Amino acid sequence: MKGILGAAALAAMLTALAPAAGLAQSAAELQRGAADTKNVLNYGMSYDLQRYSPLAQIDKQSVKRLVPVWNYSYDDNRAQESQPLVYDGVLYVTTHSATMAVDAKTGRQIWKSKIEYPPETPRIVCCGIINRGAALYDGKLFRTTLDANVVALDMKTGKELWRSNVIDWKAGYSQTVAPLVADGVVITGISGAEYGIRGFIDGWDPATGKHLWRTYTTAGEGEPGAETWPGDTWKRGGGSTWITGSYDPALNTVYWGTGNAGSWNSNTRKGDNLYTCSVVALDPKTGKIKWHYQFSPNDFFDYDSVAEMVLADIPVNGKPVKALMNANRNGFFYVLDRTDGKLLAANQYGKKVTWADGIDAKTGRPIDSEVTQNLRATEKTVEVWPSTLGSKNWSPTSFSPKTGLVYANTLDIGMKYTPTREEYRAGATYWGADIEWVWPQGPRGYLKAIDPATGKSKWEAPSDIPRFAGTLSTAGGVVFTGKLTGEFEAFDAETGEKLWQFQTGSGIEGQPVTWEQDGTQYVAVSVGIGGVYAIFSGDERLASVPAGGSLWVFALQR
Amino acid sequence: MSSAQWCVVALLGLGVGWMVGVAGGTATAAEEAPPAEMAVEGRRLYARHCSHCHGIRMVNPGNSSFDLRRFPQDDKARFLTSVTKGKNTMPAWGDMLQAEEIERIWAYVLTGGKS
Ligand code: HEC
Repeated sequence: MKGILGAAALAAMLTALAPAAGLAQSAAELQRGAADTKNVLNYGMSYDLQRYSPLAQIDKQSVKRLVPVWNYSYDDNRAQESQPLVYDGVLYVTTHSATMAVDAKTGRQIWKSKIEYPPETPRIVCCGIINRGAALYDGKLFRTTLDANVVALDMKTGKELWRSNVIDWKAGYSQTVAPLVADGVVITGISGAEYGIRGFIDGWDPATGKHLWRTYTTAGEGEPGAETWPGDTWKRGGGSTWITGSYDPALNTVYWGTGNAGSWNSNTRKGDNLYTCSVVALDPKTGKIKWHYQFSPNDFFDYDSVAEMVLADIPVNGKPVKALMNANRNGFFYVLDRTDGKLLAANQYGKKVTWADGIDAKTGRPIDSEVTQNLRATEKTVEVWPSTLGSKNWSPTSFSPKTGLVYANTLDIGMKYTPTREEYRAGATYWGADIEWVWPQGPRGYLKAIDPATGKSKWEAPSDIPRFAGTLSTAGGVVFTGKLTGEFEAFDAETGEKLWQFQTGSGIEGQPVTWEQDGTQYVAVSVGIGGVYAIFSGDERLASVPAGGSLWVFALQR
Repeated sequence: MSSAQWCVVALLGLGVGWMVGVAGGTATAAEEAPPAEMAVEGRRLYARHCSHCHGIRMVNPGNSSFDLRRFPQDDKARFLTSVTKGKNTMPAWGDMLQAEEIERIWAYVLTGGKS
């Protein structure tokens, strides 16, 4: 026993002493986040998911000289929502069907590693056959597969090092999420709240793929919160976890959003339905929940709360706080104290919100509007705003510490909503409602610069067809995003003035990133139409946008 | 869709197994348009299994899947084959849906999403 311990301790010491090899992303490197302008090592550009870069070579004036440097074909016609990572002059990108390493300067492929899954898998994927990206750590690249496997590849060669099955996809489980590496643990989520799954978050050993822990997002028998589910409804209660969490290394806490409850007809599961439509604060080593905050208890409308939990230290009511910010699908912008989950502010940012009259500052609970009260009482068709797509869908926001504003691609779409009583059928959708879209007159989306304390916009840039891309803001005072009609765009972060655009050839649903190499600032984005709006909205104006995935990289013309 | 068109569709459907999957199929089923209830049930099945890729009521820009409103209404055999066995990136449904369920979805597809 003693001998074994000694050997393990020695091995640990040797690892710690080993010089940082070319491909050994250490925990320290991952923590540098956006301050390390030569690399993009984190989903969200940084553990805090701010998607902000201190780079300023591309600024409000120079952005007019932005030109493409190269384009790399994904050889794939599905939607492209993956965020590229950059390490040591190499871009690491994913699609549903492959992982690729590309030379950042030349755009030449270094390796490509194909992903195979059973052809029936897309049946259990509601909203686009996609992948959102990878995580890097210790010379390995980690990603998830549509048929629910976590895979580790050798960053140098693309060779598969380990593969761990998460769960049987046939029961409605799938994966698109980019993993998070926090405190030496690979953390992944799951998709499928529209298929009657029971959601969870998993921890994996990066070296071996060994399963370390699983934390369920619906409270089962004997667990705290079980009383919020009638009967065994928690078994199919949803609570998916398909967007990467944020991480505060100082508090050693991971913040992960949870999806809608299933089926959508919440009268079939009376109670708060913990921990759906919530944020859970986790210990990365054990998965233990430290605290939770529920945005939409007993949710009727698919107000999934997986979207990014952005961390920032900002003043609230004149006092500096360790904040967690979330532009929630339910139309309200939340600011929480991330040390304890206490609500600090919740204000409407969605253009039209009719399901709730506000958020009670004391209890943190939404105040049901008359529309929602009637729906709960009668289960009759109602018109409600926002729709199941939300006031903002998954499209990640950016927070600029320079302007103090959050840049968000928001939606203004309503729905006619009719609850149904759906019978569970393994591997089939478990909607629990019929919906018809209700369109506004005029634009269906706005890029907004939101004041997190009030939810009010400093400026708005409308778009008839809503934007579904991520946003990126920089110290150069520029906000990057893109349109479903293919334009990659740059805006003035202060005024919202459109400064530049470039037609990329297919719709943009990707997540722009920026880094510098040898004195040049680069911007990259994946393009390729086919996500939730393209396939589900029936917006026939998109018929003229061809499918076709590729990666674009831009820099200033010399 | 007018009843005259219905008739044409049904006739063209002859010989490609129109009767095969119809639950309790009667002799008249081959000569007549699919009964309206079939399309209504088909609509429900469509909403559950197909709408998230082919659009609510089949309204879809057509660039990421197939615009089913433009599916050739005289080629039921192709519909049954493609849905049962899958086609390119379209997953197979043969192990998930019963033949008569696919028949019902076909009845719904014939309505152009208007039922
Ligand atoms: C996961 C997304 C997805 C789902 C769910 C889906 N389809 Fe498809 N479907 C597609 C795609 C993509 C195509 C285009 C295939 C190709 O590339 O030819 C297609 C094509 C088709 C075609 C045309 C085939 C041909 O002969 O050209 C039919 C018919 C069809 N689907 C029917 C259905 C029906 C009926 C359902 C529900 C039972 C369904 N689809 C569910 C994605 C889907």
